Amino acid sequence: MTREQKRKIENIAALSLSSLAAAFGLFWLVFILGDVLVHGIGALTPELFLNDPAPPGIEGGGLRHAFLGQIMITFFATLIGVPVGVLGGTYLAEYARGTKLARVIGILADIMVSVPSIVIGTFIYALLVRPLGHFSGWAGSVALAVIMIPVVLRTTEDMLSLVPWTLREAAFALGAPHYKVIVQVVYRGAATGILTGVLLSIARVAGETAPLLFTSFNNNFFSTDMNGPMASLTVAVFQYAMGPFEEWHAQAWAASLIITLFILTVTIAGRAIVRWRYKS
Amino acid sequence: MAVPQKKDPLDRLFMIVTATAAISVIVILTGIFVVLLSESSLAISRFGFFRFLASTDWNPVTESFGAATAVFGTIVTTLIALLIAVPTAVGIAVFVTEIAPDFLKGPIGIAIELLAAIPSIIYGMWGLFTLAPLMAQHVEPFLQRTFGDLPIVGALFQGTPMGIDIFSASVILSIMIIPFTASIARDSFNLTPAVVKESAYGIGATKWEVVKSVVLPYSKLGVFGGVVLSLGRALGETMAVAFVLGNNHVITASLFDAASTITVTLANEFTEADSDIYLSSLFYLALVLFLLSFIILAIAKFVLLRAEKRYSR
Repeated sequence: MTREQKRKIENIAALSLSSLAAAFGLFWLVFILGDVLVHGIGALTPELFLNDPAPPGIEGGGLRHAFLGQIMITFFATLIGVPVGVLGGTYLAEYARGTKLARVIGILADIMVSVPSIVIGTFIYALLVRPLGHFSGWAGSVALAVIMIPVVLRTTEDMLSLVPWTLREAAFALGAPHYKVIVQVVYRGAATGILTGVLLSIARVAGETAPLLFTSFNNNFFSTDMNGPMASLTVAVFQYAMGPFEEWHAQAWAASLIITLFILTVTIAGRAIVRWRYKS
Repeated sequence: MAVPQKKDPLDRLFMIVTATAAISVIVILTGIFVVLLSESSLAISRFGFFRFLASTDWNPVTESFGAATAVFGTIVTTLIALLIAVPTAVGIAVFVTEIAPDFLKGPIGIAIELLAAIPSIIYGMWGLFTLAPLMAQHVEPFLQRTFGDLPIVGALFQGTPMGIDIFSASVILSIMIIPFTASIARDSFNLTPAVVKESAYGIGATKWEVVKSVVLPYSKLGVFGGVVLSLGRALGETMAVAFVLGNNHVITASLFDAASTITVTLANEFTEADSDIYLSSLFYLALVLFLLSFIILAIAKFVLLRAEKRYSR
């Protein structure tokens, strides 16, 4: 075999392996999504959304309590996490731009994004659950908010940095103080981006289970009391999947399908918005 | 960057509010460390540091706790996951940047990143009901037949393949971290200047030779940073492994044995801990995990920043 041939064969082999790797990755995506769809769609009934759990063996139980709990916990997490994240990002991009402090906080926020979420669960347990003596929806919201803060903070900082500084200078020249420039000029220019960041952060926490295990815990009954233990879809999936009953498994699949659809839709929409708005 | 010099009192107020929000990141991270440290003080004083890490005991009845089995499981599952994920991710990055036709580059990149958007509980659920039976019936018996009789390597494939074991957990973890590594590797590859690649093509290099001798050396720092980042992520993954690892506190040579990780131990036992020393030991485990992942993530961030600086020159 000549050197030429050897190089050609090596080339084809390497390129085939790379293509195979891509096919391998796509294979898992299709496999997992297809599997969730096939198993989940059969159990998607109106009862799933409208009814509370029935005792095992009795038909017609649903996960209304978990849907409501999930929505409430996520809603309040957003209410806590988004303002902190947006304001923090504002500080980094506006008042502290280019300073060492901004760099350090940016790096720490990047690390915080990847801190194991179960560790955050134990942290909130020690802070809000043990001192009060009971699990609560609030603790779950705070745990999710802690996860949201660095995500929102970083995207806000990035989006504000995309607004040209000259725009601010134009407003300064009219005599506007910095805060007014930020609120009336910069936020307006970056609104789409910040909103997308918020959406993506909601998608990020909507699938979180580990931080809720020790904070909002679980509840088999319908409850709107944020001061008590509260069901969530993800924890319900964990409980039902690990349980022994067929109906539970079917409902867990259906709930998984809903969670997955929600998160993928939001993620894809968020990306599409960013691409459309910032394609230059 | 001009900023007005005259300070408005409202502006000062707004600045203080935003600064407080920004500093909350530091406060929370420090808070996690301090709270976990104080909660685990009981276990720290009873078991020490190195003794805790080295002890394989995990016995709530005799109240003797050590982290060795959980740390073992965490490290083994993570390393096997990296072993599968890194070559795949680099392959994907090569495919997306060099091989795929332009109209496929975007969609495939997004599809791979969607893997990262699927929540870990879904991976866990799928792993328990779909992957584990497949592993137990087909993949693991095949591996056992093929490699089980070999000397040394054979020890990895002993036992009854149940599907609820280190191997299944590692496979799931690897699928979860492929997108992180792949997207960072792709971004690093894309930073290779076109001129350098073109000059390699100009002297007759094949595509693979360009990747091997130009793109990879140029982007290795970025790829390495991506691998370390994935490592940090995999260490803290909970739900995906909680379903298929079995929470079994042992150190085992076989990939087909149930085991435990720090995260799985926490998920299964935290709310059931019935004594102070038990709970404190669990907090201690959480502290170990926090420090481990913080250090690894910090290294990843440092490497990625270095890589960024190098490319921007």
